Amino acid sequence: MASGSAVTRPAIMDSRGAGIALLGAALLSMAWIEISLDVFGHPTPLWTSVLVPITGLAYAAAGAAAWWRRPSNRLGPIMVAGALVLLLGGLGDTDVPALSVVGVVLATAPLAVVVHLLHAFPSGRVRSMPSRYTVAAAYAVCLLLQIPLYLFAPSASPHGMLAAANRPTLAAAGSWLQIGAGAAVMVATALILAGRLRATPAPRRRVLAPLYGYGIVAVLLVPLVPDVLRPLAGLTPALSGAIQVVVLAVVPVAFVGAMLLGGFARTGEIQELSAWLGATAGRRPSLATALAAALGDDSVQLAFWVPRRDGYVDAEGHVLPLPTPDTGRAVVEVEMTGRRVGAIVYDATMIGDPGLVRAAGRVIAIALDQQRLAAELRASERKLRVSRARIVEASDRERRRIAQDLHDGVQAQLVLLAVEAQRLAAIPGTPGSASEAATRLRLRIDDAAAGLRELVYGVMPAPLIERGLGAAIEDLVDRMSLPAKLDLGPEEWLPGQVQATAYFLVAEAMSNTAKHAHATKIGVRLTHLERVLIVEVDDDGVGGADVGTGLGLPGLADRIDVLGGRLRVESPAGGGTHIVAELPCGS
Amino acid sequence: MRVLIGEDEALLREGLSLVLVHGGFDVVGTARSGAALVAASDELRPDLVITDIRMPPGRTDDGLRAALKIRATWPDLAIVVLSQHLQRRYARELLDAPTAGTGYLLKQRISDIDTFCADLRRVCAGETVLDPEVVALMLSQARSEHDALHRLTPRQHEVLTLMAEGRSNAFIAHALSVTEKAVVQHVSHIYSELDLPPSEDDHRRVLAVTRYLGR
Repeated sequence: MASGSAVTRPAIMDSRGAGIALLGAALLSMAWIEISLDVFGHPTPLWTSVLVPITGLAYAAAGAAAWWRRPSNRLGPIMVAGALVLLLGGLGDTDVPALSVVGVVLATAPLAVVVHLLHAFPSGRVRSMPSRYTVAAAYAVCLLLQIPLYLFAPSASPHGMLAAANRPTLAAAGSWLQIGAGAAVMVATALILAGRLRATPAPRRRVLAPLYGYGIVAVLLVPLVPDVLRPLAGLTPALSGAIQVVVLAVVPVAFVGAMLLGGFARTGEIQELSAWLGATAGRRPSLATALAAALGDDSVQLAFWVPRRDGYVDAEGHVLPLPTPDTGRAVVEVEMTGRRVGAIVYDATMIGDPGLVRAAGRVIAIALDQQRLAAELRASERKLRVSRARIVEASDRERRRIAQDLHDGVQAQLVLLAVEAQRLAAIPGTPGSASEAATRLRLRIDDAAAGLRELVYGVMPAPLIERGLGAAIEDLVDRMSLPAKLDLGPEEWLPGQVQATAYFLVAEAMSNTAKHAHATKIGVRLTHLERVLIVEVDDDGVGGADVGTGLGLPGLADRIDVLGGRLRVESPAGGGTHIVAELPCGS
Repeated sequence: MRVLIGEDEALLREGLSLVLVHGGFDVVGTARSGAALVAASDELRPDLVITDIRMPPGRTDDGLRAALKIRATWPDLAIVVLSQHLQRRYARELLDAPTAGTGYLLKQRISDIDTFCADLRRVCAGETVLDPEVVALMLSQARSEHDALHRLTPRQHEVLTLMAEGRSNAFIAHALSVTEKAVVQHVSHIYSELDLPPSEDDHRRVLAVTRYLGR
């Protein structure tokens, strides 16, 4: 978040930090005790003594980081529990019998924790029933099926403390049962994760696939190292033990890596959202962006409730259908004082806890409601603009039709009538007075035709229909008594509405200048920029013109507004008139 | 005189045909679109083409474009363009390369049958006939461009206007009720004032004048 550095962390986070720090200190001292007991207990090399505790600390550090970043996500606590299990399991190597016994009982438990992590990533929850059974089975294999190994083999625990009898066959059978059940758990895990990968979008699959792969390999490799790899590769017991530990140590690193690569939330603080709401409007990113950052899901969408439509729209006012559950996306509705204001659409595979989204929804409810009104307004404003544009378009179409109809109809008729009158005048034998009357009639018809030409020109001038804006302005200037300077630029294609609007603006401005400005010259300039036409009309007259006063200019201001353009009239008293219009030309 | 008519309005087409037949012209064909006009002139090889500017299919300047195309193919063919609205721009395009007689008139001028037929005959004879309205447009525009025009007297202005319309000295003398000798004097003054190259026949004269005005 852009304003993140300026946000003071709230007190609640300090207390959580303190808790995690305390836990870390406890685990650290445990590791220290373990190292001391081990190192001073027997003459093994120093590195084997510190390897297990350091692995435990790696789990602890990764777990603490995840817990801190994302308090509602259980991955952190699971990893911290894993650290505890590892450190306790490591006690098996010490010379203190009471502690060593704990290590014997928990010897394979870290593997169950890794299975648990695999099923819980990235949401921190084991959601599906197959996953739940598999994780429970993993713990059972590591804790319950471990029992025959020390119950029937006195050599397994110090002084045979945990042994009930010396029955090597039972111990061996228990071992085989544990291996078989463990293999079944891993097959189930692989199947479940593969299914989950298939349903994951490609970018996340790139993060999840290596993680899942490594997790499964680690769980399979750790038990196989002493029994299969050691005889095959001729490893010393110390080295094979080290390989086991290192393979396990990489697990938390992999999970933290996946987390940082986008596997889950960067920050999960609802408080960050509150800070966003408090930030000044100009500096803050959009609500959807802030929410995406807070929830750690870039695909988060905001839907705004529009009661009138009985449906949701997006920020731009477009209709937004809510996703169905089979798309992997979930919806949390946001309410304010019992009234629906919107919804948050998120990725259910990324965020396992709808409670977190609901909490975020409560924080942003007011902002969402405000933006809802804006979205609703935007939708109706666009509708209004479209309808106004349709009206202008229809009026232009009507003007064109009237001009064309007059051209083909009455104007042609007047030519024929005048011809008819003139032929009457020329019929041999017509008395002089009748002939003169017929000629006078022809001249009056010609006058009527001239008046009609003026009218048609005002409705929709022929040059605009036949040759477009440049020719029409040129013709307009030709018919004006005032000297004019034209700068029309290269002739480019323009939408009909833009041409008509620009033309009527220039015509109106020139007519105003001719009538009121007492100007000696006038200038018209067209500038074609990318997707916008700039129309300028200047005169050196008395000024004092105003968009509000003239009858023509307000109507033109409306037309320009419909196109999404702007009209500016500068007309200081005695300083001439300068009219500038910007007309967007669409695509 | 074999005439081809380009006009899409049926009644006007008929009316114009009647006027022409009455005036002694031989109407050899009619066309209702720009393309049909071009095709008909290729086929019929008339002496004169009279066309409306606004014609199908575009209903913009299809008739004018057809006329210019015909001129490019048949340089000796006389052309008269009619319109309900005159533009300086169209006059300039028509007079850009006048290889034969050229006319540009308001449609309403048809009603003055005798003058109209006389104008057509002059165009057929290779002369240029411009509607007074378009000459007025040219003059008004030229006045703001050329200071020399301001040095002309009102009477010289009248003479210049009629020269641009394509009128002969005799016609001008009659129209202004002066002697032809007086007209010749006015013309020579206009020529020296506007610094135009001297030309003997009326056809070259109108071109020089319109070119000056359209510059």
